[in-house]
Amino acid sequence: MIPVELSKLLRSRRTWMTIAMIDALPALVAVLLAVTDLGPRPGTGPAFLSAVLTDGTLYPLAALAIVLPLFLPIAVALTAGEAVAGEAQQGTLRYLLVRPVGRVRLLVAKLVASMVFVVLAVLVVAATAYVLGVLLLGDESITVTGPTTSVSGTALSTPELVARTGLAFGYAILCMLGVACVALFLSTVVRTPAAAAFGTLGLLVGSTVLLTLDAAQVLHPYLPTRYWIAFVDLFRDPILWRDIVRGTLLQLAYVVVFLGAAWASFATKDVSD
Amino acid sequence: MPEPRSTAPRRWAVVAVVAALLVAGPLAWRARPVAADDATAAVVAERVRASADASWSGLVETSGALQLPAADELSDLGRLLGERTRLRAWWQDDRRWRVDELLPAGEHGLRRDGVGLVSWDFERDRATVSRDPDVRLPRSSDVLPPALARRVLDGVGDDDLERLSDERVAGRTALGLRVRPPSPLSSIDHVDLWADRETGVALRVEVYADGQAAPSFTTAFVEHDPGRPDDAEVGPVTGQRVDVEYDEALDIADAANQYAPLRPPGSLVGLPQAEATDGAVGVFGAGTTQLVTIPLRGREAEPFREQLQAVPGAAVTAERTVAAVGPLTVAITGSDDGGLLLAGWVTPEAMGRAAAEAVAGYEYTGDR
Amino acid sequence: MSELSQRPVAVRTESLTKRFGPVTAVDGIDLEVREGDVYGFLGANGSGKTTTVRMLLGLVLPTSGRVEVLGEPMPSAWRRVLPQVGAMIEGPAAYGQLSGRRNLALFDAMAADGDRASRARRVDDALEQVGLGGVDKRPVRAYSLGMRQRLGLAGALLRRPRLLVLDEPTNGLDPQGIQEIRRLLLELNAAGTTVVVSSHLLAEIEQTCTRVGVLDRGRLVLQDELDDLRRPTGHVELTTPDVGHALGLLGGTVVAHDDQRLLVRDPDPAAVNARLVAAGVRVTSIAAEVRRLEDVVLAATRAGSDRFDRPDRPDRPDRPDREEVAG
Repeated sequence: MIPVELSKLLRSRRTWMTIAMIDALPALVAVLLAVTDLGPRPGTGPAFLSAVLTDGTLYPLAALAIVLPLFLPIAVALTAGEAVAGEAQQGTLRYLLVRPVGRVRLLVAKLVASMVFVVLAVLVVAATAYVLGVLLLGDESITVTGPTTSVSGTALSTPELVARTGLAFGYAILCMLGVACVALFLSTVVRTPAAAAFGTLGLLVGSTVLLTLDAAQVLHPYLPTRYWIAFVDLFRDPILWRDIVRGTLLQLAYVVVFLGAAWASFATKDVSD
Repeated sequence: MPEPRSTAPRRWAVVAVVAALLVAGPLAWRARPVAADDATAAVVAERVRASADASWSGLVETSGALQLPAADELSDLGRLLGERTRLRAWWQDDRRWRVDELLPAGEHGLRRDGVGLVSWDFERDRATVSRDPDVRLPRSSDVLPPALARRVLDGVGDDDLERLSDERVAGRTALGLRVRPPSPLSSIDHVDLWADRETGVALRVEVYADGQAAPSFTTAFVEHDPGRPDDAEVGPVTGQRVDVEYDEALDIADAANQYAPLRPPGSLVGLPQAEATDGAVGVFGAGTTQLVTIPLRGREAEPFREQLQAVPGAAVTAERTVAAVGPLTVAITGSDDGGLLLAGWVTPEAMGRAAAEAVAGYEYTGDR
Repeated sequence: MSELSQRPVAVRTESLTKRFGPVTAVDGIDLEVREGDVYGFLGANGSGKTTTVRMLLGLVLPTSGRVEVLGEPMPSAWRRVLPQVGAMIEGPAAYGQLSGRRNLALFDAMAADGDRASRARRVDDALEQVGLGGVDKRPVRAYSLGMRQRLGLAGALLRRPRLLVLDEPTNGLDPQGIQEIRRLLLELNAAGTTVVVSSHLLAEIEQTCTRVGVLDRGRLVLQDELDDLRRPTGHVELTTPDVGHALGLLGGTVVAHDDQRLLVRDPDPAAVNARLVAAGVRVTSIAAEVRRLEDVVLAATRAGSDRFDRPDRPDRPDRPDREEVAG
């Protein structure tokens, strides 16, 4: 089932359109920064955006910070929300199940396809941002060979920068895995893919709002978006693992609970669409 | 007839149990009981005072409700006292340490490397080297629990102390202590602190203003390692492209202290001048009853006065403006042009008197 | 009957019941389909046909009762049962942006038994069987209703199933298409495939099926061999211009008559005819009366289940008056 889902994903024009749209924003920002040379004021704007004007190799990270809060989760919620509800709406779900495709296997295949989508989107964003960053921003002659400056002001060698960037992207993918599991669960519950996607986004927006509220402090460690931005901590020196580790555990907990809920809801659900 | 076969309730039960464990597990882990310790309040206070030379490293979270007037000259003070901040600190001793204020998208670092002070701003991509005088504005290294606790205990007698129940802070057993300011002038009702049972280093400090149920300012370790940090960790800013600037004066207080042709009086509202006083800036009293006076020129004083007048509840007269933000009272004398800025942990009434005394008592030393 | 009971059971349900909240959609039905049958599953819209079919295929879980398909319990044995079943449930469905051929290949690849080497050939064969052999690469969303129906059928046939379960298979087809499909089903059945066809169209069932089950408001009100249902009634139906003469001659054996027709209680039309002709009565037509499926079904069912009559009204005004035929 997994190869079938991947083939559906990769052959779908919608997949590539969505990735292109996700990629367009950081690309536009890179061009604007290059043309105007105006960085955001300190303390405002996404992480690393002020730093890319001097160091273009950091632009993949700035691009990640640009797409991670909104674009990426929307795309993931739409893709994963489609999983079961989309098949049900098209009427193909009943044919999948009598083919027969096991219900758990169907859920896993859908999740894998959603994650491949995320990885693709993230890789395309990273690659575009790297090329644009080196070509348009920063000082190429220094950044390609020499060390970069960490957030803490210490030197960061190129292999270190590459390894930490890889970790940051891996972490972002994990965060999106949590989103995908929520959307997958909702997709087994509601009748339309749009309802699953909006439900997921509702959870994320609610989480973001509650994070700004001191009264909700007890809830903060459990909110899905709480540690998303923690990938910045990978570029402090030494790396501040606390939030990264907590974020990883939190996302894994979301994956376990919502994947379990998807299984609980779907394994014996009456398919009458 | 066969029974209904739906296994859905059983599956949901499994999921619910797993979710409950995942939520409650960390809570239970944190709530595990603390072994009681019979140390008296005086003993705990003594341990905290004795921990001045202790080395440690850790991550501190502060949260404050002190909304300071937004003046650029106050540097990062407003954020430190009025918002939630995360500080990452490595502390070898008073002369070698590093405190990084972690911002969502950057970092403000302070490094004390024995002689001078280096401050680092990631988003401006700038490092500034300056001297590190005793008379200066509060900064991130002052709100770390060990530093704040020692300041609070300065000048406090055993009668002002009370033992609180022990707690677990940053995973370590911490002994509780309540400190009541000895002076009636203080605007602080009490300070609760918890100190590491093994090292005496304060791990959590809560400052309560008069008549407030919730703390006005809290600082606490969320991670604490009592070991001595490596030299590499407290090391200097080394990024290649870092612009390094050299500043003659650290901040507005240091500048005034060095250059203003004025000398403060020997005491204010009965509070004696502190030893630290070595220039135009006066430091009076100690611990929970301390205030400073800073002479400001017109272009520094005026925006500040405007901001202060906008603070809700500010008492504005021709002689002075006095405003209280939580336990912190701030005053500026005069109604235009330059004036004396006073700030401290004293009641607004005491601050008004202090301002009048300061205006009368400051001594002009002439152009130097 | 003895020949029937020797064939193995393809589908059997015991007291199969499904409740959706307070609504009982399927109420204790006992289906029995033997291998080699073409089983017609007849019922009005909303009578529970589709829910029953979905329970056979493991899509809907029974509230109570037991389902056995091809000798194994469902849904627990879905892994072994479903690969041998081809199904079309409540109309065809496909990925609209892909071609028909690609759709079939995709569905074939979904389960492990879809052998890759033979896939293209099997897809072509299935399309050929349903009359889509020459279909181009246009996406399914550009197909007509009839083409989609044929594609759905091709999907059901792809793995040469032992059991075909088809829900309204001729929906959207023109008369010629209906004829083709009917022929195809009979061919497949002749080759050993058991076919379960559900439909609300009497004529369709009557022309294809060997065995009929009738569902009414969730209850199985009738299940029998079609030939048994249509056995002669023991009456002879005749028309004659000489009604009065005939009445006199046949006397008490006449069950009913009007000014042209007579219904005579007698199993042998030839004997009756001989008597009448011998007596000089002109006979326009004469035949043994055979029960029509429609009569049987109408007698067994109540008003269409999408009708909601007020309880104080008489049950159904156009109800046939000869109730005794409902055996």
